[in-house]
Amino acid sequence: MHTVFLRALGVLIALVMVSTVVRADDDTVYKAPAGQAPPVAPPLRKGSPLDHLANDPKQNAPTVGYREGNTQGNVYWIGHRLIDPVGGQGWGWLRKPDQRWGNARWIALQESPGLAVAPHRKLVKADMDLNWEYKFWGRFATYKAYDPRLDEQLPVFILQGYEVIGAAAPLNIKVGPSDRIDHLPSGASSRDNRPILSDPGVD
Amino acid sequence: MRLLLASLSILLLGLATAPAQDREDIVLTGGPALRFMEHGKGDVSHDVYWFNFVDASTIRLKELKDQAKPDEIVTWLIYRPSYAARSREMDLDLLAQLQQKANALGVRLVFFDNKAQLIAYLDRGFDRDKVKIADFDYFGHSNKACFLFDYSNTIDTMSIAWLHVKDLRLIDSDIFARDAVCKSWGCHSGEMYSKWWKNRFDVPMIGAIGKTDFAHGGLPQLSNSDGKWAD
Repeated sequence: MHTVFLRALGVLIALVMVSTVVRADDDTVYKAPAGQAPPVAPPLRKGSPLDHLANDPKQNAPTVGYREGNTQGNVYWIGHRLIDPVGGQGWGWLRKPDQRWGNARWIALQESPGLAVAPHRKLVKADMDLNWEYKFWGRFATYKAYDPRLDEQLPVFILQGYEVIGAAAPLNIKVGPSDRIDHLPSGASSRDNRPILSDPGVD
Repeated sequence: MRLLLASLSILLLGLATAPAQDREDIVLTGGPALRFMEHGKGDVSHDVYWFNFVDASTIRLKELKDQAKPDEIVTWLIYRPSYAARSREMDLDLLAQLQQKANALGVRLVFFDNKAQLIAYLDRGFDRDKVKIADFDYFGHSNKACFLFDYSNTIDTMSIAWLHVKDLRLIDSDIFARDAVCKSWGCHSGEMYSKWWKNRFDVPMIGAIGKTDFAHGGLPQLSNSDGKWAD
């Protein structure tokens, strides 16, 4: 009887210990204390896209002929970089090699971290490749991007590789998606023909 | 007189036998940006903390659970792709952590991957003739015209998953209880979204005039000194 009692006690102690271990594991999941600032992200993983972005040396201009990602295919586009003067987040224009710039599309650039990211990531400032041109490999997405600063939608190009062509003359063509100038204020519009300029301002 | 009494009896009987779970409380949670996208943006770098929206959501969910009757449904809708991407970036299984949090709170966790899935749930997650949405809270990025479930996670400073005011017409107009309480805890919703919400669903939605701040822990606060909540 005594032995049975001791065994039962042992099992009970073991269960308590296991539950303590489980609780300790749960405690590794961060719970933000009320009224206190939450922690920052964990340390950078060595060799990750974010590590390269944060720690690789930056250039003042792209290197002509530099290639990144998958650049082997015969199908590519020509990209012309421009910063949207009214604050939109589009990357610039994109056209097929046999098209004129008048047929180019104003695009949102979806990067592929670990494979190919926007060329300006290598630069000291994001606008240092203004009016530079590139060969882009990749494809257009089936979805669109929403630009919250201007309340408009842009075609998405998923970048899988690029080659730096070089600096070019500024283009005298319309900036922005095709419906930007066609938009008419109706009163029902969320944009009312002017930028929203309310960048999500959280955290 | 007999007819009146009979009708009254049927009505009372109907009320007595109505399903107990005729109300659902929903917390809708958007996703965080990737650090890769927000790197180098200084003070305007979003979502340094990956669970800013989640922590606020869990506080509200606990409030709802505490207030709810035992058989009232409390559902947590989370935009999955952004948490999956942030998980890959940080080498953490955030989706498993979300499930743990939902389990600890005793709420139903429903992930969605796109706008169509979200609308399908709102319309048909339950038979909306019987189970109306009684409480709705949104935690996530937003501007005055849009809930942004994805923001700076797939494309720098842009969204590929959102619910625009113009999309509200895609949702059935009668999914809410007449006394439903709705609130967006995101930025700027009170400047436009609330009005369109009321027009579509005939229930008010409280929203912020100005920005909200999730960085303090707890429920978000108004950031601007002249900010206020409006419906």
